[in-house]
Amino acid sequence: MSTVHHDPSTLPADDNVNPYTFCVELKGSQWFLQKGKMIAYYGTIDFNGIGHGRLDRLVRTSFHSPLHASDWVVAEGSGKMLLADRAFDVNSYDLEDGNLTIRSGNLLAFQPSLALKQSIVPGFLTLIGTGKFVAASNGPVVFMEPPIRVDPQALVGWADCPSPCHHYDHGYMTGLMGGLRAMTGLGGASGEEHQFEFVGAGTVLLQSSEALMAEQTTGAPPQQAGVPGSGAPGAQGGRSGVPGLPGQLGDLQRRFGL
Amino acid sequence: MKAKNGSMVAYDGEMAFKKLSGGGEGIRGMVTRRITGEQMTVMEVRGQGTCWFADRASEINLVGLQGDKLYVESSNFLAADAGLRTGTSFTGTRGASQGNGLFTTTVEGHGQVAIMSDGPAVALRVSASYPLTVDPGAYVAHQGNLRQSFQSGVTFRTLLGEGGGEAFQIRFEGDGLVYVQPSERNTIAGDV
Repeated sequence: MSTVHHDPSTLPADDNVNPYTFCVELKGSQWFLQKGKMIAYYGTIDFNGIGHGRLDRLVRTSFHSPLHASDWVVAEGSGKMLLADRAFDVNSYDLEDGNLTIRSGNLLAFQPSLALKQSIVPGFLTLIGTGKFVAASNGPVVFMEPPIRVDPQALVGWADCPSPCHHYDHGYMTGLMGGLRAMTGLGGASGEEHQFEFVGAGTVLLQSSEALMAEQTTGAPPQQAGVPGSGAPGAQGGRSGVPGLPGQLGDLQRRFGL
Repeated sequence: MKAKNGSMVAYDGEMAFKKLSGGGEGIRGMVTRRITGEQMTVMEVRGQGTCWFADRASEINLVGLQGDKLYVESSNFLAADAGLRTGTSFTGTRGASQGNGLFTTTVEGHGQVAIMSDGPAVALRVSASYPLTVDPGAYVAHQGNLRQSFQSGVTFRTLLGEGGGEAFQIRFEGDGLVYVQPSERNTIAGDV
């Protein structure tokens, strides 16, 4: 395979070099980029932290995720830049006046014409607007139409779906025996008693493996009542990212009314 | 041929495996490797038939050498034709930024070399008109007549925790090929 030798003229513009490497062409333009995902570049490209004063305006218009600010940089200049992430599959997607919510660890880069916002669902980010973004997944991404129930570990993101919610196979989970079964795996827990459910119009993005991207710890949302994941009264517990899976002690405690 | 110790997974035909002390580089090579810490255990495979090499399911890339020199980290080296000379060379600050030590392995001569990477490596050509900048964590190997310089973008902002995330880079100029992998090793500079 390494007989193919790339140089700036043979590298694609804003397309994949191979399933694991993506090439972005910059012509005096800017891209938002998650830290450390650049592996090489031709030309002159500057990388600046989001906190950089000169970028204030750009950040104000297209970056609304203060918790993630320390993980993101702005690349600007001209040249071709290669992006990759832990040898996972990378792909670019076009959004046209749309919205898409994605697991924060999976998003690699996006054009500033998109606005990045923190999702209400902890650990997820939402992109709104028109433009291109690059995302990583463990194995190729599959697009599904709701109504669908998906495994929490296989979920990459969703577009236009208004209703991501939990679904439990209730008969299997109730009572003391159900709890024990879920916790110990004895008596036939399939490990699939809990799913995410999507209904309505939209698209759900799944990866073809259940290996999660490592998530960066990003602090907590503002401490306000009614903000999920903030740990404030009236909010959900402080566990961000993966919602409580059945079989964790937290669920059992609640089941027994402790 | 020479291969990394223990990397054989299967063979047919007749094969003999012998550990090469000091990587078959003689006493001098042995001493150099011991001193530089660029350790590499190599075995010699001799015989007839087909031999398969693999290591931790990492991606394997074949590089053909026609009298030029390939610089590769010993941890990325899998196998080479017996006719190729291996040695050690000083990398300077690049090695330090990669966390792989200050020295690297060189392979020289005519033949094929197998190098390993996390995900298929991308070969990038460097010439006088287009120099290349590489993240130290993604660098795997390079060949040809290349000058490398170390770029540091560390500023007061990095110290404030608002760095560009790509504070350390290696810049290649000259004429040759650079191999990068679609994944980053953990480097000292990884989080800056």
